[in-house]
Amino acid sequence: MPEPQPLFACLYRPPGNHGGHGVHGEDSGSASVSPVLCVASAFSPRYERHRDDLVSIDISGLGRLLGPPRAIGEELRRDAASRGLRVHIAIARTRTAAMILALARPGLTVVDDGGEAQALASIGIGILDGVKSRVSSLTDLPLAAFRHWGLTTLGELAALPSADLAARLGMQGLVWQAIARGDDGRPLVPDVAEEPFASTLDLEWPIEGLEPLSFVLTRLLEPIVTRLERRDRGVAVLHVELRLSGSPPPTHVRRLELPTPIRDVRTLRTLALLDLESHPPPAAIERVTVRADPTPARIVQHTLFTRAVPTPEQLSTLVARLNALMGADRIGAPAEMDTYRPGAFGMTPFAAHASASSVDSRPRRGADPVGGPEAFVAAPHVVSALRRCRQPVPARVAVADGRPVRVTTDRRGFAGGAVVQCAGPWRTSGEWWTFGDRVVPARSGTSGEPGRETAQAFLTAPAAQTSQASQACPARESYWHRDEWDVALSDGAIYRIFQDRDTDAWFIDAVVD
Amino acid sequence: MMATLARADLESLLRARRLDRTLTTAIPTSPPSAAHDDLAVAAAGVTTLDASLGGGVPRGQLSELVGVRSSGRTSLMLRMLAAATARGELVALVDAVDRLDVASAAAAGIALDRLLWVRGHVSANPGLCRDTNQRALEQAIRALTLVLQAGNFGLVVFDAADVPADALRRLPFTTWLRLQRMIEGTQTTCVLVGSERMARSAAGLTLELSAPRAACGPRRFTGVSTEARLIQARHHARAAAALRVPLSTAW
Repeated sequence: MPEPQPLFACLYRPPGNHGGHGVHGEDSGSASVSPVLCVASAFSPRYERHRDDLVSIDISGLGRLLGPPRAIGEELRRDAASRGLRVHIAIARTRTAAMILALARPGLTVVDDGGEAQALASIGIGILDGVKSRVSSLTDLPLAAFRHWGLTTLGELAALPSADLAARLGMQGLVWQAIARGDDGRPLVPDVAEEPFASTLDLEWPIEGLEPLSFVLTRLLEPIVTRLERRDRGVAVLHVELRLSGSPPPTHVRRLELPTPIRDVRTLRTLALLDLESHPPPAAIERVTVRADPTPARIVQHTLFTRAVPTPEQLSTLVARLNALMGADRIGAPAEMDTYRPGAFGMTPFAAHASASSVDSRPRRGADPVGGPEAFVAAPHVVSALRRCRQPVPARVAVADGRPVRVTTDRRGFAGGAVVQCAGPWRTSGEWWTFGDRVVPARSGTSGEPGRETAQAFLTAPAAQTSQASQACPARESYWHRDEWDVALSDGAIYRIFQDRDTDAWFIDAVVD
Repeated sequence: MMATLARADLESLLRARRLDRTLTTAIPTSPPSAAHDDLAVAAAGVTTLDASLGGGVPRGQLSELVGVRSSGRTSLMLRMLAAATARGELVALVDAVDRLDVASAAAAGIALDRLLWVRGHVSANPGLCRDTNQRALEQAIRALTLVLQAGNFGLVVFDAADVPADALRRLPFTTWLRLQRMIEGTQTTCVLVGSERMARSAAGLTLELSAPRAACGPRRFTGVSTEARLIQARHHARAAAALRVPLSTAW
């Protein structure tokens, strides 16, 4: 049985014709669909939208249903009229010819087989400007050059010798010549309707707790994941909407941004449950809606030479479990801060991309050492490290000749003792320019250090608010002004202590270990 | 002759099925095969220590790093983490008392983006609420369990150096056996850092750092000198007490 010859229809709604009614999308957030697209979709699933007023339709095969091309055209016009539209309709064997004829001629135009070039020949060359403005993928239009040469119709452009045209305008000249003849430079690329990846389940009776919700989430996620697998997509963002009991029924909405595209039902369910465990719904659940924002799936290429690391799914689940157990602010990767403030640090999310290490566990012959120019090198000694006290420990320090001689505290585990060796002081300060609520009590016997009055002038909190507690423990704002010492005590411990220059209080800041 | 060969075959079969420990006397197993076999040991990054331990800390076992305050436990712990991240491994630090100094970690050479830091809530001074510490410590142990269960971390460190000793002693002994079982046969190295031994017989290797001697220059400390003593080594050929490795730290 011979294959049907391609047949294309093009619908064009000229400007000024604002009639017609479209269809609102199912999602309340989307705009209404163009009425021209509604006409196209009613006749064929293969249509390409160039603009809201110009649509190309592949109507190959419709002849068996509707008859000859003119009958198809009449049906199109009748359907458009029923929607209140006045459109130009053109039917031809090529998509390009149908588009140009729809732009140029009102009403219904049907081109006989093989008559595309002849049908286009008399159309003015200015029509190409309309084609270019509606089809953005086309190359630049040398319309000025065509007019300069005296070309006035598409037929004259089509009749030019191709070799000479290419020599003067290059490839773009040949492209526009082919368009003038009605030849298709590419096949029709049909618009694919955005497939919603969502599922909803109305419960017969409200449920409480996460355990019964687990079964509901599994049931909703399975068809979504199946559709995602067919489209080779993964979930980038997972939305869970719970309609709760109450009048009016409140909605508990959670949004999970996943570090990598995931389409494993168990992992998605676990992440959703862990998130709801941290943010539980305040009432019983009557309806559950799960919606996934798709994204192209992750391409994984396994190798034999890299060390195994947790997969992004395993890492995501682990981090979610740790967040639920310890708190979201206690889990992450440490980060240095751009400050001289002692003990300052930041935390960043422990990203899954850190697991995609392309660094071989064994360096290849001739390759640079692992880690680049500043590669780690084993050495006979180690760099001394500190154990930082997040809250400095208040201490009592006996001073002789300006140097600490004894350090004691009331804190269990910091017994203290006589100072055997000490180094310091190292004066450090910073961020005195920040305007905050810092409490700076007046120092007894202040001799007026240079700049101190200036600093005090910027401070707003009155000294009367000074309390024993604030004197015992320095305020946690960014400003600091201290003298640091490293002391080795008789019990063997080595501490980093400091004296706050504003309050004269002593603290243990860190332990050298 | 035939009987000797049959016995050797039987012993190797028992060893392969991990049934050698059911015998009244455990069959001595061979030490890690190669001095620098990445699959058997994880180098600590200290040349003297790695050479003495046959390449590093064994994988698939609980190891302990114990010592008094300022003996260099934290410095050595950070060195191990840096060596692991330099090998391209992911590492995790369960910081039970939240003592990590990020600047020290960066100075030690740790690739911070490869370090999963779990900050605990254990308080060194709980006051009257002593149960708070026990709950927080159990929470830290659960976090450690989750990390080990996830698997494929090259090095997991549990820093309990400043945890009150009585809180640690109240943990059931089976805790460490369970953790050891969790990583057995894997490529994960788990190191427990504390002021006294925790895992006891569940540990494969225990290093004890001696009391430090601070080295002080004219105006500042230049470092700490200490000694690492091998207390226990389940799969080490040399006698434990004979292995002493001098360690020094420097700013």
